[in-house]
Amino acid sequence: MTSSPTARRGRFARVSPWISTVVRVLLGGVLLAAGGLKVIDPQSSVLAVRAYQLVPDPIATLIGWGLPFAEIAIGLLLVVVALTRIAAIAAAVMMVVFIVSVSSAAARGLSIDCGCFGGGGQVAAGQTAYGAEIARDIGLLLMAVWLVWRPQSRYALEHDLERDDHSDSDTTDLQEDRT
Amino acid sequence: MSTRRPTSSRAARDRAREAREQAAQRRRERRTLIVVAAALVLVLVGGGILLQAWRTSRSPSAAAVAPSAAVTPIAISNGRPLVFGSADAPVTIRLYEDFHCPHCADFEETYASTLDAAVAAGTVSIHFYPMAFIDQGSAAAANAMACASEAGFGPAYSTGLFANHTLQWSTAQLISLADQITGGATPAGFTACVQQGSHLPWVQSINAAADQAGVQQTPTMFIDDRPVDITTLTVDSLKQKIADAAA
Repeated sequence: MTSSPTARRGRFARVSPWISTVVRVLLGGVLLAAGGLKVIDPQSSVLAVRAYQLVPDPIATLIGWGLPFAEIAIGLLLVVVALTRIAAIAAAVMMVVFIVSVSSAAARGLSIDCGCFGGGGQVAAGQTAYGAEIARDIGLLLMAVWLVWRPQSRYALEHDLERDDHSDSDTTDLQEDRT
Repeated sequence: MSTRRPTSSRAARDRAREAREQAAQRRRERRTLIVVAAALVLVLVGGGILLQAWRTSRSPSAAAVAPSAAVTPIAISNGRPLVFGSADAPVTIRLYEDFHCPHCADFEETYASTLDAAVAAGTVSIHFYPMAFIDQGSAAAANAMACASEAGFGPAYSTGLFANHTLQWSTAQLISLADQITGGATPAGFTACVQQGSHLPWVQSINAAADQAGVQQTPTMFIDDRPVDITTLTVDSLKQKIADAAA
C-alpha cells in the first residue's frame, strides 16, 4: 500500500489542499500586512519607491500611493475570495518585481531599506539587509508558485467551484473506466 | 439518491447533457467572479491613489499648538541654525531634522515637550537645522520655517509642520498652516517669503552645514557637541542627559 504510486498520489491529493490553504493564508496575510503598514503613510511610501531610483518621480508617486492598495487587494483575494491561481500569479509577478528591484539597488550600491513593510528610504551604509530581504521575497515567490501549481484549497469562497471541477473529472475517470 | 446501476443509454445522455449544462453554468459563475474581483481590485487601487492624493494635498489639520509666548523673531543668516532659547542657557542642543522625515515626526512627538520645557526653564538652547534632503516638500517646509522664525512664530510652526508631515507642502498648505497658528493674522511678509522661496539659499547652506558636521541621517541630535543615540533614547534618559550636561 505504501509503495503504490496511486496511493501516494491519493495521499498527496488529500494533503495538498491543506498545504495550499496554509500557504494561501500566509502569503495573503503577509501581503495584507505589507500593504496595511504602507497605506497609513503615503509620504514615506512614495519616498521608499523613490529611493530605488528606478522610475521618474511622478511614477514613483503613483506606485507609492497605489502599490499598498494592490497588495491589500491581492492579499484579500488570497485570504478571503481565493481566485487563488489568478491572485497567486499576480503575487508572483509582484515578488519578481520586488526581487529585481532590491537586487538592482544592491548591485548599484545604494544604501536603502526595501520599505517592504513601511519605512524605507536611505539607511546608513552598513545597515542594508538586501540578502535577508531578497531571501524573504524568494520564499514568498515560492509560496505563490506553489499556489499557481496547486490552487485548490480549503475554506475559500471559490472552493465549491473548484471542487465541482474536481469531482467532475473524477466521474469522467469512472465513466472512462467503465467503458 | 444515486444508486449505481447500469443505466440506459438515454439516461446516460441526459446525464451528460446535464453535466455539460452544469459545467457551462460553472464557467459563467467563474467568469463573473473573476470580473467582479478584477473590478474590485481596480476600484481599490484607483480609489486608493485618489485617497492618498487627497491625504497629501488637503489643508493641514489644526495641530495642537500651544501658542508660545512671544518668541523673538530670528534673523536668518547663511549656515547658521535657528536658535530657540536663551543665549545664556548652559546646555546647547543641536538638532538636525527634515520636515518630511517620518522618524523626525516621531521624535518630535515623543521629545518635543521635554525639550520645550527645558528651553522654557532656560536650561537649554536649541540650534535647529531644518534640512532638506528628502524632496521638494522638505525644502519648501524648511524655507517656510525660516520665514516663520523671522516672523516670530517659529516653534509653533515647526510643531505644526511635524504634526502634518504626511502633507506634500504646497505653498497653499504652508500658508494655511500659518493662518491656523496666527489665527488668520499671517503677516504679509511671511506669505511673500513662502511664495518667493526667499530662504531657499539658506536651506541649502543648512544642508551644507549639516554635511560638514557629518550628519548622515535625520533626526540627529548633539547635546553640547556630543552625539546622542536616538534609537536607545527615552524621555527619562533625555532629561538625565540634559541634567548631566547642565551640572
